[in-house]
Amino acid sequence: MLSTEFHKTIKLDNIDDSLKREILEECDVDIEQCIECGKCSGGCSNAHIFDYTPRKIVQLIKMGDEETLLSMDCLWTCVSCHLCVDRCPAHINIPRIMDYLREKAYKRGIEPTRDKVELFNELMLDSVRKIGRVAEMTMMMKFNFKTGQYFKDADIGRQMFFKGKLSPFSPKVKHLKQVHRLFEDVPHKRGEVEK
Amino acid sequence: MNDKAKKALVIGGGPAGLEAAIKIGQAGYNVVLVEKEAVLGGTLRQLYSSFPRWENPEELVDYKLQELEKLPSVKVMTETLVDSAQRKNDMFLVNVKHSDGSTEKIEVDSVVLATGFELFDATLYGEYGYGTYPNVLTSLEFEEKLREWDSGEDNTEPPKTVAFFKCVGSRDPSKGYPYCSKICCMYTAKQAGLVKDFFPDAKCYVFYMDYRAAGREYEEFVRDVIENKHVRYVRGRPAKVIPENGRLLIRAEDTLMGIPIEVTADMIVLAAAIVPSKGTIKLAEIFGANTDSYGFLQYDSKNPGKAGDKVFFAGACGFAVETLGAQYQGAAVAAEVIALFNQENLEAVETPEAQYQGADAATEVNARFRQANVGGK
Repeated sequence: MLSTEFHKTIKLDNIDDSLKREILEECDVDIEQCIECGKCSGGCSNAHIFDYTPRKIVQLIKMGDEETLLSMDCLWTCVSCHLCVDRCPAHINIPRIMDYLREKAYKRGIEPTRDKVELFNELMLDSVRKIGRVAEMTMMMKFNFKTGQYFKDADIGRQMFFKGKLSPFSPKVKHLKQVHRLFEDVPHKRGEVEK
Repeated sequence: MNDKAKKALVIGGGPAGLEAAIKIGQAGYNVVLVEKEAVLGGTLRQLYSSFPRWENPEELVDYKLQELEKLPSVKVMTETLVDSAQRKNDMFLVNVKHSDGSTEKIEVDSVVLATGFELFDATLYGEYGYGTYPNVLTSLEFEEKLREWDSGEDNTEPPKTVAFFKCVGSRDPSKGYPYCSKICCMYTAKQAGLVKDFFPDAKCYVFYMDYRAAGREYEEFVRDVIENKHVRYVRGRPAKVIPENGRLLIRAEDTLMGIPIEVTADMIVLAAAIVPSKGTIKLAEIFGANTDSYGFLQYDSKNPGKAGDKVFFAGACGFAVETLGAQYQGAAVAAEVIALFNQENLEAVETPEAQYQGADAATEVNARFRQANVGGK
């Protein structure tokens, strides 16, 4: 794995461009269009907690360093705010790449570096599976109870409730079957490879 | 030649010199074009292809030579060197030496220096092994290689990996020159792209600090090479070349990641800096032209093509320039020379009445021009 601390030499000869091609085919993102300007990293809303900034992630793809990409911490701290792609002069869709890498890590059974992230995603997907949408209040309460943070959002939750921003009722969507169809190809457990 | 007409001496038959000679000749003045090589075309003739349009430079040279042939007022002397010169009244008395050792004296009214450039001596970079490892070439030697690949003259096993080093002698005050040689980014992109055209399976790396593509269609050209021809640009200046099992191991840093990298290449092309030629410095002394601290001809901000009294210059003897820029400069100094000659002819008219008539005629022309263009005001 790539280590910036010990300056291990990377041999470019050993790099094939399969990951680059994979990203092009699967995500429709041509990373050769990256002009290495760093606008994505400069404006990244979570760069302060990222181990690899968006520009470096693109660079890692060029280097074919899948091992680093699938185990990096920022894979689970990226909130997909889309600031990077909105500002990118070369249309590099980094959130799409991050989604793809997360999926790939999940299918491979690679344990996320942040346990709460996986729980959060599971609760969210459960909610979508059940009613076709995210029941915000229910999901938030479930998440906080399961992680032992009982009073974390109590104050802001109360305020939002009285302002009508948070509803305890989340009706099902009309065509739940169509939502279920979307889930057909999605693995239910980490490491469960696509059929 | 018209004996009464003024005469200009153009030294150097590259794109800048050709352009200047043709334009001065087309304006009706006499020109002597002196070239040290046996053929005209200068460095342009050595090139396999051009940027940003992938054109064959020979076509451009041939076209210019055809134009030149139509002009009886332009005399071409190849394999000829300027030996010495003196100023005599308003003229220059120039001694030229032909290849057979014979000399000739010519009188001219103005001089255009278009003596081109030399490449930086890459052996000064011991770490790259130029001159020691046979597959480390300069960019001009690589143009020759491209020709050989094209003609089938070189049918040895094609390289699996070719690496290009930019800024060899440029942007290096320690071993080379502090300036940017301006054209290397573009011709390196061109050469790397051509490698991929010849050998699509070959890997092609360009080591760069940044690519400077300031020109019409230039940025698009470099992006095309990166995105469509799939040349890999690696940011960082190579540190060392080490021979390894008949190949060349390159050590560098990927400065975008901050990690050391290695790559093995079969051929390395050095984009050596553009430096002034020794001949230019000598000619500048002969004709009393100013040079800067590097030896490039020095310009006057008010007349950018002027290096001294009745001495003009165009092309890479002034500073690194691409073909198109050399052509522009050649045409621009031709205008300087023509304007100078016209002015001198007007001043030479003896009587005040004739001068007045001349001025009057000019006023008449101006008035007609204004009438035609801005409605008679």
